[in-house]
Amino acid sequence: MGEDALEEAVIVGADIVAGHDGTAELVVRLLHPDGSEHPVLLDEDTGLKLMEACGASGLEDLYGQSWRRILPQA
Amino acid sequence: MREMAMFDVIVRGGTVVDGTGAPGFAGDVAVKDGRIAAVGQVSGEAKRVVDAQGRVVAPGFIDPHTHFDVQLLWDGAARPALEHGVTCVVPGNCSLSLAPLKASDRKAVVGMFQQIEEMPPEAFTTAFEWTWEDFAGYRSALEKGLSINVAPLVGHSVIRLWVMGPASQERAAFPDEIAAMQALLRECLEAGAVGLSTSFVDLDEHGRPVPSRYAQFEELDALCAVLGEFGRMLQVVPEFYATDITIARIDQLADLSIRHDIPTTFSPLFDTLAVPDNAERAIARVEEQFARGARVWPQMQTRPIDISFSLLRPSLFFARLPRWVRILRQPLEQRVAALNDPDTRAKMLADLGSDGGEAMFGRLVARGGDACPPEYVGKTLSEIAGLRGQPAGLALIELSLENGLDVAFLSAGQGHQSTDRIGPMLAHPLVHIGASDGGAHLASFSTYGDTGYLFSEFVRKAGAMSLEKAVAKITSETADIWGLKDRGRLATGQCADIVVFDPDAIARGDELPAFDMPGDGMRYVRAARGVDTVLVNGEVAYAAGAYTDSRSGVVCV
Repeated sequence: MGEDALEEAVIVGADIVAGHDGTAELVVRLLHPDGSEHPVLLDEDTGLKLMEACGASGLEDLYGQSWRRILPQA
Repeated sequence: MREMAMFDVIVRGGTVVDGTGAPGFAGDVAVKDGRIAAVGQVSGEAKRVVDAQGRVVAPGFIDPHTHFDVQLLWDGAARPALEHGVTCVVPGNCSLSLAPLKASDRKAVVGMFQQIEEMPPEAFTTAFEWTWEDFAGYRSALEKGLSINVAPLVGHSVIRLWVMGPASQERAAFPDEIAAMQALLRECLEAGAVGLSTSFVDLDEHGRPVPSRYAQFEELDALCAVLGEFGRMLQVVPEFYATDITIARIDQLADLSIRHDIPTTFSPLFDTLAVPDNAERAIARVEEQFARGARVWPQMQTRPIDISFSLLRPSLFFARLPRWVRILRQPLEQRVAALNDPDTRAKMLADLGSDGGEAMFGRLVARGGDACPPEYVGKTLSEIAGLRGQPAGLALIELSLENGLDVAFLSAGQGHQSTDRIGPMLAHPLVHIGASDGGAHLASFSTYGDTGYLFSEFVRKAGAMSLEKAVAKITSETADIWGLKDRGRLATGQCADIVVFDPDAIARGDELPAFDMPGDGMRYVRAARGVDTVLVNGEVAYAAGAYTDSRSGVVCV
């Protein structure tokens, strides 16, 4: 990341909820650079991919991680 | 001397809850020629008398969000919906219906149905003769054997597929294609469709968005103009839990509703403790849009959402157990080896705490319908652990390993689960009770019995609304929202859809696997409790725990 990179949203909370189809889904809370917080719901596949991308073995491992991890890394 | 009136049926001596929300009263309901002939203290005789002493007599319940499109072709009662007191179902939701559909496009739509409903392939090849292409033909096929009433939606995805073929899942429509879709929708509405359904979230079996998701707003707007000619419903599936997108959808639906003078409904709207303001913000926006003159009905289900999983696939259910996540994420062969390894297993069990996983896993239920030995089906893991003489965590691992990991467990009430929060929402005058998804998600969970749960949980247990209000919410209010003429009330001249139930006992039964789908396909079902008798258009369709041979259901649009 360059020195002039913009500040990013980071994950400050994570929880498991029941999805409409009976799977476990992941809700993460994002802290944005302006101080606001916002929840985002991820389906089971996407949630598992995010945990893998973050090297997370548990929900707490997600805390402080960049939201950019949601995207496949180049 | 006056001649005694002769009726077909008299339901005698019950508490009549007429569906309007008015207080129940002691009385009788008489039926003649499929219609209600008298309500109150009825004198006269009948060919059949139904004793309703100690019971409530109410209009039949209406389920506005189902996927019984296929099942109704071999099971005209939409079992077990009818035994729960449901006398009218609305199939064709979420942009999918079985008509209009060219024979050459059947395979594509079957794939979408299998994805969304989990219907076994045999359901489409062995259970009925596929004779129709247009909506009128589908209606005729349905009407041959209905025991329940049906108000079918037509799906936007199949309309698009008919007009555009494979391009329906590739691009926006050209103006001439939109005009063709309008003409086709008009034909369907004339043939008895109750409205149009569309989806902004569903995927086909290849993971591609269903055709309706490729439509631009101009297309939806043009189709709503046709709905406006008939005053018919637009149903949409919005983006769940994404509150701000849901609110944008509410605003969009409101504009369509006002511009074309149509009712609209979106389903489902869930409550979740993880995003606690989701439902209340959506409802607040609905209130604002109704104040503008729009009709945007959020559909909310009564039942909580459960999580189910097995060790066959990784699941976020274990996201609070890092070691378990790492092990269960491995390819199958390594996963099985790790679960069999004594050292690994000891560490996994140590992670569960001194109670051996009782607190964490003890309330999980072995669902059945898979490789689970029958003696454990329906039991909690705590009970299974007791039978096996093991701690709960070890029982989970060993029971799974003994059966090729194909043992599904259910963690009940993990979403939309707070009765204290949901009760007032269900009672809200602008919240439409529905979204049962009856006939869908067959192999994942039961979509039957939500009406029983409304009474057992929100009327009897929580007192969130009166019994009369609960009845009104799923009868007259539903009929009015959907424009179902002469349904939803017990009044002279109305269609005689009637349910007789025990107000102290009506409930949903336990969730159990059943192998009653074509090709011995499995689904989860719940039997009814406390429902004595169900009449559809004046004929007894269910009584004393059994279905009759009645075929009095109709397409009621």
